[in-house]
Amino acid sequence: MITRLEGADKVTGRARYAADVRLPGLLHAHIVRSPYPHARIRHIDASRAERLPGVHAVLSSANSPSIPWHDASSLFDRTVRYIGDEVAAVAADSDELAADAARLIDVQYEALAFDLVGEAREPKAEARGDVARGLREADVVLEATYRTQTALHNALEPHGCTALWHGDQLTVYESTQGIFAVRDEVAEKLGLAAQNVRIITEHMGGGFGAKQIAWKHTVIAALLAQRTGRPVQLALDRASENLAAGNRNATEQRLRLGAKRDGTLSAIDARIRVEAGAYSVGGEDSDVIGTYLTLYRCANVRAEQRSLRTNAGPAVAFRAPGYAEGNFALESAIDELAARLGIDALELRLRNYATRDQREDKPYTAPESLRRCITRVAAACEWRHQRPGLGFAAHDWAAGGGWPPAEAEVEFAHGAARVIVGVQDVGTGSRTALAQLAAAELGIGVERVQVELGDTQPGLYGPTSAGSATLATLGPVVQEAARLAKKSGHARAQRGENPKGKSIRTCGAQAVELAVDRDTGEVTVKRVIAAHDCGRIVNPLLQSSQVIGGITQALGYALSEKRIVDARLGDVLNANLEEYKLPTVADIPEIVNASESMPDAEANATGVKGCGEPPIIPTAAAIANAIYSATGVRIRELPITREKLIR
Amino acid sequence: MRAFEYTTPSTIQQAVSALGADSRALAGGTDLLTLMKAHIAAPERLVNVKMLLPRGIEARPEGLEIGALTTLAEIEQHPVIAAGYSALAQAAALAASPQIRNLATIGGNLLQRPRCWYYRNARIDCWLKGGADCPAREGENRNHAILGGGPCYAVHPSDLAAALLAFDAALWVHGRGGERAIELADFFALPAPERRTETVLSPDELVLKLRLPPHPEETRSGYLKAMDRKAWAFALAGVACVLRLSGRKIAHARIVLSGVAPIPWRARAAERELQGAMASPDRFAAAAAAAVQEAVPLRHNGYKLPLTKALVRQALTALTDPACK
Ligand SMILES: Cc1cc2nc3c(=O)[nH]c(=O)nc-3n(C[C@H](O)[C@H](O)[C@H](O)COP(=O)(O)OP(=O)(O)OC[C@H]3O[C@@H](n4cnc5c(N)ncnc54)[C@H](O)[C@@H]3O)c2cc1C
Ligand code: SF4
Repeated sequence: MITRLEGADKVTGRARYAADVRLPGLLHAHIVRSPYPHARIRHIDASRAERLPGVHAVLSSANSPSIPWHDASSLFDRTVRYIGDEVAAVAADSDELAADAARLIDVQYEALAFDLVGEAREPKAEARGDVARGLREADVVLEATYRTQTALHNALEPHGCTALWHGDQLTVYESTQGIFAVRDEVAEKLGLAAQNVRIITEHMGGGFGAKQIAWKHTVIAALLAQRTGRPVQLALDRASENLAAGNRNATEQRLRLGAKRDGTLSAIDARIRVEAGAYSVGGEDSDVIGTYLTLYRCANVRAEQRSLRTNAGPAVAFRAPGYAEGNFALESAIDELAARLGIDALELRLRNYATRDQREDKPYTAPESLRRCITRVAAACEWRHQRPGLGFAAHDWAAGGGWPPAEAEVEFAHGAARVIVGVQDVGTGSRTALAQLAAAELGIGVERVQVELGDTQPGLYGPTSAGSATLATLGPVVQEAARLAKKSGHARAQRGENPKGKSIRTCGAQAVELAVDRDTGEVTVKRVIAAHDCGRIVNPLLQSSQVIGGITQALGYALSEKRIVDARLGDVLNANLEEYKLPTVADIPEIVNASESMPDAEANATGVKGCGEPPIIPTAAAIANAIYSATGVRIRELPITREKLIR
Repeated sequence: MRAFEYTTPSTIQQAVSALGADSRALAGGTDLLTLMKAHIAAPERLVNVKMLLPRGIEARPEGLEIGALTTLAEIEQHPVIAAGYSALAQAAALAASPQIRNLATIGGNLLQRPRCWYYRNARIDCWLKGGADCPAREGENRNHAILGGGPCYAVHPSDLAAALLAFDAALWVHGRGGERAIELADFFALPAPERRTETVLSPDELVLKLRLPPHPEETRSGYLKAMDRKAWAFALAGVACVLRLSGRKIAHARIVLSGVAPIPWRARAAERELQGAMASPDRFAAAAAAAVQEAVPLRHNGYKLPLTKALVRQALTALTDPACK
């Protein structure tokens, strides 16, 4: 068994994260954030803060360039649109001093009316066939509305960076999932050429989608470093992290499913509202409609989602954005439909799962892998219809096939290799898996391979670690470069395109066993069994880590996590780890990973697909389905807290 | 955090004279420092009492004595408490996390401030912090009080206080006027306009120790707590229960609720249902109903009524199970 190459560095504290960087003359920055959900800034007086000994610079709309930012706003916009919006920033000798100085900045606001409900904007919609007819011709129609909450990422490591200049050359140590995405965005915002910006991400304590884009803190740190001529570190605290660094959008999903007596789906109609917060910040899209269009074979589908803009923290991609939300509703509804039809819930899925990508009208590279996952989970949990407390859900995920282009360079001499790539290891173990692929190709031990990543400087492009893409993108190209280097001692390779005529997806299934105490409303999850198709499993330990991590996050999503916003104040009441209830070790049940290696030779030469996002997708629905089987109560809203179950 | 003066007095006298309206005793700091970092509390002076006050647990003929600096971990693990005061050991074990229990003292636990999320948010003004209104009353109040609410609806966060009250504990406190004893039942008092705190301790007083009166061998006790997750969460509702049986007859009963009122809440009506009665499911149901008969739920916390009732029933059932000690 090969363990993480950087594991010892991490557990001994040797590994250096963005906020561990120590440089001579380092200053610490703190951001002043709006205390109003919507306001116009009348006046900013920073003189008291500037006079404080140890304070080196204050930036705000009063003295900094107006850099265009998301939508039609700017870096320090004179209109603030949610509690937590950036107003000003201070650089000082210490973190504490910067925070104290921030409180001395006198900002006069004119409060404006705010809106936490939001107006629906233009829908994103896709349709095929004739839904009205499909519903008319159905023997059974299920109509139900499901709701999911706003969830916060809460990566162990908050967002943060350290910025320094050498002349007109900017270097940023950043906690990011996309060194090139951040390089390009930061360069654009600062009016620099991309090659004048270097982004370094040596280690990362998770991002889960919220670190795919350049947030304001990076540009603020760069501007403060420029102004003071000193390196500046800006790390968000947990409160800022939970107010202003993204979230999983809340949804309301109105569904109608039609089916024939034999279980054939004749119509899927999904109308979805998505609470997007104050800005569209970019990054991976929350594609809630996606799974409605693809998971099951159905000729008549209409799926539309409308975003609601509100005066709350902006949503951003969160591990399987859109699919975790959509799957909860669709897979709960499929269970409800199965009960109405009198068909075994698992059997109904086996009768309807899609083997073609109906959105793109192409076959999948691995059309039967979902069946294999379903049957493996069924065997591992000894599936029996209506066994009390046992619930099941299947899922698909549009990504996982990799995002070309990408490059890799391999040097091979004296039986040792150096692999250079332009991706980051966000904590998933990319370093280790890539080293294994190179080692296998070169016929050497993995300890003889050194992987250099997380730096834009070598100029080898790699994609953002999103869409479960990293290994699927880089694996084949590292393997190819290693193959060439074995002959020539030094080679570069480019990642080829994905196959044109077929779609690559990932998919899987999970079952949950739990118990419910109806007197106290308490849910106790006893076991989760999972099987996911991620192509060839390069490293079972790393793949299991993703399965365990995804399910753990999903347990919180299903049972305890929810951002609470006061409707009259527009303020988040639990932007902390005490009242935003992540699962603890005591909440995590036995997790059985029944995944098998299923090399997908049609996807790429290495046969790998991604596994970062999938494990979070089906758990919530499997839990809701298990609760139904335990109690006969159908809960259509997350999180499933006690008050929803207590008798 | 506001800058503050820090003193380490060497006698209790000195400590007491250093205390006052703008200064606070610092024990484990797990609550006080959190409040200061969040700009909810901003004392001018911290008086370090960590070397000064009694720490430790002593079983004496006149009862069990617990020094104010005794940590929750020490209470959780003490063999005499585990054997004779199970409710207290269980309450300690269910509180916070192991790391916090290693630092948190029992004195500080009784004096910790509410976890109401409006109170803990420095951007929000509220009655308990000296403001005019309580935003929780009509706001997000699923964690709030169903008993004893108004003008403040925050619940008392301590698990241990409920258990201590069920054992009829008393406190020894030291102030400018010297030492005095207070029954724990009198120590907690609903916040009122002239005193926006949960206890009657005056700012210049220190808690020295607690005493739990001795009780007969056959006493049984337990603490049940409902949380939003399996560990490391404050009580949505909790019940400490102390019982003495004579055969199947209930000779003595104390039922104290946590997580449902601004102070630990003695359910006297429930105790009356039990006192002198035969242990039976019907009796327990009657006691459970009596425990919340005066409850006035807010918009989002109605679930606390059935929850509290269920906990009372479950606690009584477990304690009167013939197989239980
Ligand atoms: C994350 C978290 C979770 C928690 N969960 C729980 C829980 O589930 N259940 C529970 O019961 N508690 C819980 N607590 C509360 C915790 O038990 C208390 O914070 C702790 O017991 C306070 O003790 P301390 O010594 O740290 O007090 P400090 O923080 O030092 O002091 C608290 C207050 O008491 C005063 N004080 C302290 N000692 C004395 C004394 N001897 N005389 C006079 N005044 C004194 C201080 O001046 C201050 O006002 C939790 C706390 C945290 C941070
Ligand atoms: S319940 Fe008490 S602490 Fe909470 S907002 Fe109301 S007055 Fe303040």
